[in-house]
Amino acid sequence: MSDNESETKEIRTDGTGIVAPDNETPTWSERKARKTGLSRLTYEYFERARREDQDLRTESDYVERDVLAFPTWPHETVRNLSIASFFVGMILFLSATMPPHIGAPANPSQTPAIILPDWYLYWSFGLLKLNPLNPELAILGGQKIMADRTYGVLANGVVVGFIAIVPFLNKGSARRPVEQPFWAAVGVAGVVFAMTISLLAVKNLMPMNVDLLFDLTFLLPIVFGTVTYAVLKTMREGYMYNLNRRYYRLRPPK
Amino acid sequence: MSLERKEEHDHKAWMKKKDLTPIEATFLTTLIWLDKRLRIVDYLELLETLYYKVNLQMPKSHTEQYNLDNKFWYWYPLYTLGLFSTLAYVVAAISGALLGFYYSPATSGDPTTAYNSIEFIMRDLQFGFMLRSIHRWSAQVMVAAVFLHMLRVYFTGSYKEPRELNWLLGIVLISLTMVFGYTGYLLPWDQLAFWAGQIGVEMSLSVPLAGEWVAQLLFGGFTLSQATLQRMYILHVFLLPFVVTTLIAIHIGIVWVQGIAEPH
Ligand code: HEM
Repeated sequence: MSDNESETKEIRTDGTGIVAPDNETPTWSERKARKTGLSRLTYEYFERARREDQDLRTESDYVERDVLAFPTWPHETVRNLSIASFFVGMILFLSATMPPHIGAPANPSQTPAIILPDWYLYWSFGLLKLNPLNPELAILGGQKIMADRTYGVLANGVVVGFIAIVPFLNKGSARRPVEQPFWAAVGVAGVVFAMTISLLAVKNLMPMNVDLLFDLTFLLPIVFGTVTYAVLKTMREGYMYNLNRRYYRLRPPK
Repeated sequence: MSLERKEEHDHKAWMKKKDLTPIEATFLTTLIWLDKRLRIVDYLELLETLYYKVNLQMPKSHTEQYNLDNKFWYWYPLYTLGLFSTLAYVVAAISGALLGFYYSPATSGDPTTAYNSIEFIMRDLQFGFMLRSIHRWSAQVMVAAVFLHMLRVYFTGSYKEPRELNWLLGIVLISLTMVFGYTGYLLPWDQLAFWAGQIGVEMSLSVPLAGEWVAQLLFGGFTLSQATLQRMYILHVFLLPFVVTTLIAIHIGIVWVQGIAEPH
C-alpha cells in the first residue's frame, strides 16, 4: 500500500495523467490498489473471476465453438426457416378453416346466460368458484374471513407464486423426470389440475353433477400425480442403472 | 509527407488489381464509401472481438462432452416451443398492426363504433375476415405454445441453477401473454367482451386493500364505459407490445448467454 500512496501523491503538472493514454490504461490490479472498501472488493472479485475464466479456458472441456459446432449456415438456418414456415403455415391454415365470429353487441342491461373469457383464462375463472373451500372460521362465529371472490383472487396469486418459487424449492442437477419422481408427480398433478379447474369454470356447460365435478377437480390431480410417482419410481432403478453406467464410463467419479 | 496518397491507401487501384466479380466490387465500393464516412471498420472490429470473446469461451455443451446426441433428438421437438411462441407473437403483431388501421375504440353509438368497426373489418374489408382470423388464431396458438414451453422447461428440469431468473421472467411473460389476450378479448365490445370485462372489474375490486385503485387504474372506474375500452386498447396496442417485446428479447438473450440446458 505505502509505495502506491507515494506514487499517487505525486502531482503531475504537464497535463498528462488526466486521461490515461492507451498504453497506460491501468490494469485491474492497479485500479484495485487505489481502491478501498466496496470498490476494492469489486476489483478483487473481477480479478478472481478473470483468473477462474482463464483456468477454465485452459481446461480440456472448453472448446473453440466456431470450429466444432454445427454450422449455422446452411444447416441451422435452413432447418429453422422450414420449421418457421411450417408453423406460420399452420396458423394460416387454422385461420382459414376456422375463422372466429362475433356475438351480439354489448348490452349492459341484459346479462347473458354464459359469461366466459378465452379458454386460457378458464383456470383463473375456475379459481373464483372455490367458495366451498373458503373456511368458515369458528373464531369468527362461523363467518368467512374474506369474501368468496377475494378468496378466489388470492388463489390466483398462490398458484402463480408457487410456480414462481419452484426453482428455489427443487435444486440439484437432476433433470430427467425419472431422476426425481416426486417433482415429476407435482408437475403432472399441476397440469391435470389446470385442466380440471378449467372444466370447473365451465361447470354449467358440463354434463355432470356439479358436486362430483368439484370433487374430481381435486381428486384427479392427486390420482394422476400418485400414478406418475409410482410409475417413475418403478422405472427408476433400471433407468438410473443404465444412465449411471453410461455416465461413469465417460466421466469416472473422482 | 507528400500530398499524394500512399500506394497502400489507394483502395481504387487495389480493387482494380484484384479482378473482382461485380458483386464483390459493389460490396467493396459500398463498404469503403460507408467506412470513409462512418468508420464502420472500427465497429466491425469491436463486434468481432465481442463475438470471439463470447463464442470462444463457451463451455463444451453437454451433448458434445458426453456424446449424448442420440439422447438429445428425443427431446428436441419440444425445444422449439419457445421459438413457436416467438413466431406466433410476431404473426400476431403484424396482423394486429394491420387490424389497427381499421379499428376504433369508441363506445359511442348503438351498436358501438368499436363493434361496428369489427363488423366492417369482417364484412366489407378485403381480406378483413382472414386478417381477424389470423390475429385471433396466432394469439390462441401463442398462449398454447407458451404454456407447453413452460411444461417443457419444467419436465426437463431446465429451470434449475443458473436459469432461475429466466424462469421468473417466464412467469412474468406468460402472465403478460394472458393479459394481452384478455385486453384483446374486450376490444370487439360484444356481449362476451362486455361481461368478461365485468368479471375483470369485480375481480380487481376484490383485491384486498388496493381493490378500488386497481379497478380505477385498469378499468377506468367501477362500471364499464368508454374509459374501460380505451384503457384496454392502449394496454393492448401500446403498453404491452413494448413491454412484452423487450422482455422476450431479454429472455432469449439470457438463453443465448447461458446456452440451452440439455437433458442428460
Ligand atoms: C412469451 C413467452 C415466451 C417466449 C417467447 C419464450 C422464448 C424462449 C425461447 C426461444 C427459449 C429457447 C429454448 C426453447 O425454445 O425451448 C426459451 C428458453 C427458456 N424459457 Fe422461455 N419463452 C416464453 C415463456 C416462458 C415461460 C412461461 C417460462 C417458464 C415459466 C419460460 C422459461 C424458460 C427457461 C427457464 C428457458 C431456458 C431453458 C433451457 O435453457 O433449456 N419461458 N424461452
